Amino acid sequence: MGNYFSELGENVISAKQERVRELTQRALADGVDPVEIINSGLIPGMNVVGARFKAGDMFVPEVLMSARAMNAGMELVKPLLVGKEVPSQGKVVLGTVKGDLHDIGKNLVSMMLESAGYTVINLGVDVSAAKFLQAVKENKPDILGMSALLTTTMLGMKDVIELLKEEGLRDQVKVVIGGAPISQEFAREIGADGFAPDAGSATELCHQLVAR
Amino acid sequence: MSLSMYPALNGGQFRLFNDRQVNAIHEGVVRLLEDVGLKVKSKRAYEIFEKSGALTDPAAETVRIPRTLLEKAIRTAPSRVTIHGREEKDDVVLEKNRVHFGTGGTVMYALDFETGERRLTHTQDVRDLARLVDGLENIAFYVIHTYPADVAEKDVDVNRFYWAITNTTKPIMGGMYTLEGLREAIKVSEMVAGGADKLRERPFVSFITLMVSPLVMDWHYTDFLIEVAAKGLPLAVPSEPLAGATSPVTLASTITLNLAESLAGLTLAQLVRPGTPTLIGTTSSIMDMKTGTYVAGAIESSLINAGIAQMAQYYGLPLYATGGQSDAKLNDAQAGYESAAQAMVLGLSGANWVHDAAGLLECCTTVSYEKTVIDNEILGNVLRVLRGVEVTDDTLAIDVIKAQGPGGNFLAHPHTAEHFRSEFFLPQVSDRWNRITWKQSGSLDAHARAHQLAEKVLKTHRAVPVEPKLREEIRRLFPGITGEDLG
Repeated sequence: MGNYFSELGENVISAKQERVRELTQRALADGVDPVEIINSGLIPGMNVVGARFKAGDMFVPEVLMSARAMNAGMELVKPLLVGKEVPSQGKVVLGTVKGDLHDIGKNLVSMMLESAGYTVINLGVDVSAAKFLQAVKENKPDILGMSALLTTTMLGMKDVIELLKEEGLRDQVKVVIGGAPISQEFAREIGADGFAPDAGSATELCHQLVAR
Repeated sequence: MSLSMYPALNGGQFRLFNDRQVNAIHEGVVRLLEDVGLKVKSKRAYEIFEKSGALTDPAAETVRIPRTLLEKAIRTAPSRVTIHGREEKDDVVLEKNRVHFGTGGTVMYALDFETGERRLTHTQDVRDLARLVDGLENIAFYVIHTYPADVAEKDVDVNRFYWAITNTTKPIMGGMYTLEGLREAIKVSEMVAGGADKLRERPFVSFITLMVSPLVMDWHYTDFLIEVAAKGLPLAVPSEPLAGATSPVTLASTITLNLAESLAGLTLAQLVRPGTPTLIGTTSSIMDMKTGTYVAGAIESSLINAGIAQMAQYYGLPLYATGGQSDAKLNDAQAGYESAAQAMVLGLSGANWVHDAAGLLECCTTVSYEKTVIDNEILGNVLRVLRGVEVTDDTLAIDVIKAQGPGGNFLAHPHTAEHFRSEFFLPQVSDRWNRITWKQSGSLDAHARAHQLAEKVLKTHRAVPVEPKLREEIRRLFPGITGEDLG
């Protein structure tokens, strides 16, 4: 049984999607606990990917391919988890603020978070404060992430935080922000919980905030 | 240093001369050799030329080489020379417009890796720079580029070659200081190879002699040349005219003179032993007209090299070339732009064995560990350019664009993961983080980052070793070898 786990992990690392699917099927047929497949096989593999990415030995597209391989296994396991909780690092609502159409940086954060085991609700671009608020109410995320590339739109982040306060929701969600013009000082100024300068550290930031 | 080495790449995109100009230079070479000739100070060389039908003048000690003799030598010299590594994976094939970059020198000083202070070089530098070169993926060979000041002159050659051979499996080349030292270095190489015939079969050491500009064959180096050629080991015969000082200031003339001198060396090597693997060569540069000194980082040096590379390809002879240097005293902007400009020109010219391309500062007098790492990165950029842009259905990726559609992105598409490592050069020294992350990691400049990378290689990298028993035997036989072997 241990063999399944280490082989699953290796194939997540090397992003062999088909092989992960096959191994998951065989493990399930052998009666391996679905939760164990995730916790002892798929996730540990992805953790190695995360460490290698941080060390500079793996790159963004490879992380995303490994995540895809992991998901190939997840898809088979998830339906069997009825009544049990699907292991997740946490829930994140993401969006680019109003008036800003920049997509790729925020999507990269989204993909990196998913590959690290988060459930991500991606609201897209040009998201109004009201829409962020509604998503927080509906999804009850652990983290709300906002992105902006323009100095003219980044102030929209403050509006969202103010609205959360007015609605009495500010304490229930951690707010993180990012984007080229954003700095730690700005995050402090508008009362955000955190700031990450790049997609890799966004994942780490979320880990820290969720652990708190 | 997990990225794999680039395969041999073709340069030659940069052409200086049209056919008429190539012919004019060639006729100039023939005229210099036929009409002027060389002063040959080596008695052995003089006699070999005399016996072979060269026109000699004993009073002036000159040898004039007729066109037929030159042409015959060009024919008997191999147009493809393999310079072997101690391990086959490191073999370097020199021909046509294939490009490889490596170290070169020889220098007396190093910027100390711990203190940064300029100091004399030691046997430990020969050892550690060999290890560094072994661990850097864009440096293809190790031309021993330091002179160990911690041993007696008679032991310099054997130390240089011993520490090189035992610390890298990449091809090794070096100059020599004494004839006895040369013989010891060859003996050590034969022991590691498993015999003289084994070494001749796969020579992982080769040697550099030189002509003295203008038009002199020194007795010392010419005797070395004869010794190496007789052994059948690969040989480079460069010359080093300095435009404006030891050759006319015009680059066309410097190129022509350089070729004439080097081809005279090649002719001698072929007369000693027809078929001797011989690289014609250039270490030419200019005399700086402000300081009145030799400079290494001049862009004209690269133009001379590019011209000679085109001529070498015309003759069908492999070339020992020079480029990627700087005259800066430390790893500043000058060090970067001079080295990068030179290396790019040399690569695009299709020069085969480009030495001096890693680690040198200060008019080829000082070596820097950090510069070696920075040059490895410069060479990675150059090799990326030489590899060009591949056009196939797969690289055009029309289907991928179609699949993603307008407004989609390609970051998470398997096509990206599959190709980015070969499409993009992945730098190790360059900092591409935003300012915040850069500051968090200590606001390091390129020199400091290169220092960290060099440290990592020196701490962790070990070349495939030479058997400890064999090393002990060699050291018993040559007690002049000084320094500590690494495991």
